[in-house]
Amino acid sequence: MATLLINGKSHTVDAPDDSKLLWVLRERLRMTGTKFGCGMAQCGACTVHLNGEAVRSCQVTVAQAAGKKITTIEGLHPQGQHPLQLAWIAEQVPQCGYCQSGQIMQAAALLAKNPKPTDADINTAMAGNLCRCATYLRIRRAIKRAAQGV
Amino acid sequence: MARRIDRRDFIKTTTVAGVGLTLSFTLPGVGVRKAAALSAWEPNTQMTLTPDGLVTVHIFKAEMGQGVGTALAQIVAEELEVDWKDIRIDYPTSDPKHGLMITGGSWSVNWTFDKLSRASVAARTMLIAAAAQQWKVPASECVAERSTVRHAPTGRFLTYGQIVDKVPIAARTWSEDDLKKLALKRPEEYRVVGQWAARLDIPEKVTGKAKFGIDTFLPGMLYAKVAYPPTREGAKVKAVDDKGAKGVKGYVKTVVAGDLVAALGTTLEAAIQARDALKVTWDNGPYAAVSTESITRDYEQKAKDDTTSPAWVEKGDVKGALGQAAKTHEATYVTDYVAHAPLEPMNCVAKFEGGVADIYTGSQFQTMAMGAISKQLGIPEDKVRVHQHYLGGGFGRRLEPDAIVEAVVIARQAGRPVKLIRSREEDFKRDYFRSFTLQRLRGGLDAQGKLTSWDNTLVAAYPGERYGGLDKEGRDQFALNGSDHVYDIPNQFVRAIRKETGISVGYVRAVAPNYTFFAVETFIDELAQLAKVDAVQFRLGMLKDAPRLANVLKMVAERAGWGKPLAANTGLGIACVTAQEKKDPTWTASAIQARVDPQSGAVTVEKVVCAVDCGIIVNPDGARSQVEGSLLFGISNALKERITIQNGQPVQSNFHDYHLLRMNEVPEVVEVLFVKNKEYPTGLGEPGTTTVAPALSNAIFAATGARVRSVPFLPDRVLAAIKAKA
Repeated sequence: MATLLINGKSHTVDAPDDSKLLWVLRERLRMTGTKFGCGMAQCGACTVHLNGEAVRSCQVTVAQAAGKKITTIEGLHPQGQHPLQLAWIAEQVPQCGYCQSGQIMQAAALLAKNPKPTDADINTAMAGNLCRCATYLRIRRAIKRAAQGV
Repeated sequence: MARRIDRRDFIKTTTVAGVGLTLSFTLPGVGVRKAAALSAWEPNTQMTLTPDGLVTVHIFKAEMGQGVGTALAQIVAEELEVDWKDIRIDYPTSDPKHGLMITGGSWSVNWTFDKLSRASVAARTMLIAAAAQQWKVPASECVAERSTVRHAPTGRFLTYGQIVDKVPIAARTWSEDDLKKLALKRPEEYRVVGQWAARLDIPEKVTGKAKFGIDTFLPGMLYAKVAYPPTREGAKVKAVDDKGAKGVKGYVKTVVAGDLVAALGTTLEAAIQARDALKVTWDNGPYAAVSTESITRDYEQKAKDDTTSPAWVEKGDVKGALGQAAKTHEATYVTDYVAHAPLEPMNCVAKFEGGVADIYTGSQFQTMAMGAISKQLGIPEDKVRVHQHYLGGGFGRRLEPDAIVEAVVIARQAGRPVKLIRSREEDFKRDYFRSFTLQRLRGGLDAQGKLTSWDNTLVAAYPGERYGGLDKEGRDQFALNGSDHVYDIPNQFVRAIRKETGISVGYVRAVAPNYTFFAVETFIDELAQLAKVDAVQFRLGMLKDAPRLANVLKMVAERAGWGKPLAANTGLGIACVTAQEKKDPTWTASAIQARVDPQSGAVTVEKVVCAVDCGIIVNPDGARSQVEGSLLFGISNALKERITIQNGQPVQSNFHDYHLLRMNEVPEVVEVLFVKNKEYPTGLGEPGTTTVAPALSNAIFAATGARVRSVPFLPDRVLAAIKAKA
C-alpha cells in the first residue's frame, strides 16, 4: 500500500513498493495520458513531474514517489490550457501524438526554470524525448511561442 | 417507426484488384422515409447527418499522425457544403461491408479524393431535392451553402439539421455512371480544400485524453506476457515448464498454443514475473546461425550468380550498349535493416466471447487482421470486430496483425479478455524490418557523355508473400518500386532477385523507394561525375518527359544555392524521386547541405530544402507537417538507424543501441516548397523520406570527395570512405 499525491489528489494504491510509477498511473489508476515507450529512460514518453522536476516515471518506484507532489499531463492545467498546450495547438505540433504528453511535461519543467530558453537550452532539455514522427521543428517553435507568451 | 435506411442497402463497397475501392450505389430497400422517424441520415457509408446539424465523416483510414481524418473531412465539407464548425469525425469499427480497410503507401487522399467528392455531391443533391420538394420549387432554384439549403428567389432556407429532422429525403439510386456524371467543383471554386484547417485530432493529443490501443481496459481482463522464441523465425517449442510461475502472486495460468507460450496474470507486473519464471525449451530452428555477415555474403553471392530471376525493368539492349559504351561505371549499394520503432510498442486488448472476437487496438490493415483472426479461430470474418484507436505511430508496423493474433488466441484459451503489451525489447525482437538490400549498378556513357545503358541487380527480401502481393513472376512491386525510375535512358535492365534470410521483413515508411532511390540517385550523381556534367543538368537532360520532376529539381537547386561555394568540409547534395509509385508519383526533390568532420566521419545536416508537387493540396499545414516529418524521418534512417543480426535475431533491443534522431540533431533549416497546381492529389507521407539518403550521400561526396555507399552513413563508414579515397 502506498499513498500517492497526484495532481493534487491523494490516491491509495495496492501495489508492491518496487512497482514503477508509470504502470501504477496507467494500469492501476488508469490515468493513461502518461505513455510507455521504452522502460529504460531513453524516450521520455513517460515524463511526469515529481515535486516540479521532470522525471521518467518508468524509472521511479512507488516508494520513491510516495509523499511527493506528482503532476501528470492530466494535471498540468485544470482546463488543459497551459501555455504550452495552447502553443502546441497553435503550432499544430502533434502527429501521432503518442510522445506529446512527455514532450509537453518536459518542456513545462524547462520553462518553469528557464522562461526564455535559447535553441541550445531547448536542445539540451528536450534531447531525451524521442518523437518518431519527428515533430521536433514544431516542438521547438511551440516552446518558443509559449515562452514569448503569444 | 420507419426502418432506418441501412448503409448496407445503399452503398455497396467492393474491392477491386486488391487495391482500389469502388463505391456503387445499389437500390435502397426503402423509398421515401417518413418525417421525424430518423435520428440520423446516412446518405452513404462515409457520412452521417444528424438533426443537431452535425455532419460526422466516418474515417476508414487509420489516424497515425498524418491528419487523414481532417483532410478527408475537408473533402466532404467542400462538396457537401458543410460549415467547418459542423464537421465531426469518427473511426468506424471494422466490418467486411466496408471493403478493404488499409492505410499505407501514402494512398489515402489519392484513393479517396474523387470518390469522396462524388459521394458528397450526391448527398448534397439529395438534400437540395428534399428542400425543393418541401417548398414545391424547382431544385435548380436552390443552393446549398454553409450547412444550409436556400431558395435563392425567396431567401427561404432550411439547415441540414432541419432537413434531417423534419423533411422527407427521397431515396435515390446512384449508379457509378450517375456519380461519374456529377459535376465537381473546379479547384478555383474551393473554399475548404486548400485552406488552413486545424487538425481535428490535435486538441486531445495535448491533454493526454487521446485514446490509443494501449489505453484500453475491459472488465475482468488479464495481462498476458508472451515468452518469445530465441530466433526471429523458425523456432519450435519443445517443452514448457510452468512450475516457477505458480509461486508468483497474481499468476493465473500459462497458455500454450502451438509455438505461442504466454503467462497470464491479474496485473502486468504479475504477468511479467510469471513469464520470466517459465522454463521454455526451444528448438532454435534453421536460422539460428544467421548473422549480418552471413546475410551480406549471401546477398553478394546472389548478385553475382543469379542470372535467372525475373526482370523488373527491361528496355532496349543493355548488354550491347554497355559493350559499346565509351565509359562505364559500376557501384554496389547496401542498405541495412531498419526498424519501424513506433513509440507506442505493439499491443492489443482482445476478447473472445459468444463466437465473436473483439479487438481493441490501432490497426493500419483491419482487413488483414480480420482475415488472420478468422483463419486462426475458424470464425467468419463478420464475427471479428477491430475497434479502431489512434495509432501511436504506424510507419507500416501496424499493417501486421501479429500482436492482434497473439492476443486473441490467448484470450480464447484464457476464457477472459486479455491485454497484451510488448516491452520495447520485444517490439524490436518481433519487428518486421525493412529488408537488408544490395543493389549493384552498372552504367555506360556514349562518346558524347550521354547515359545510354543502365543495369541494376537488386537483391532484397519480400514482405509481399504474407500480403498475397507477389505477382505471377514472384515479384513484390512494393520491394522494387523506385528502381523503375523515369530517366530517359534507351537501354535499361533491372533484375529483381528475392532472397529471404530467416529475418522477417515488412514495409517500413517510404518502403522500397527508401532504398531504391538511394542507389538510383547516388549512382546518377556518380555518372554525372564520370560524364563531367553538373549533376542537376545531367538529370534535367534525361527528364524531358517528366516536366513536373524537372520543375521540383530546379526549384530546390535554385532555393538551396546550387553551385555556390560553401565552407570547407561542407557539401550540397541533390536528389529527385517519383515516390511512392511511378504510376501515381508525388514529384519530389531535395537538396541537403551537410558538414562532415574529417577526423571522426560524423555528418551534420545543416539544411534541407525539399520541393513537392503532389497536385491539389487538401490541408496545406498538414501537408507541410507530413513533409517535415518525413524528411527528418529520412535523416534518422540515413544517419543513425541500423539493425544488425546475430544468432538469427536482432542485436539491438532498445533506444540506447538503436538510435533515432533527437532534438539536438535536427537541422537548423528545413524548408518545404509546394508546387501550386490543379493536378489530381497524390500522397505526402513518404516521398520526402526517399530523397534523404541519396541527397545526403551526394552531399557527403561534395564535402569530402568520398562516396559512402552503405546506409546508414555511420561515422566509421564515412571515415573509411574518406581514407579509401586518399
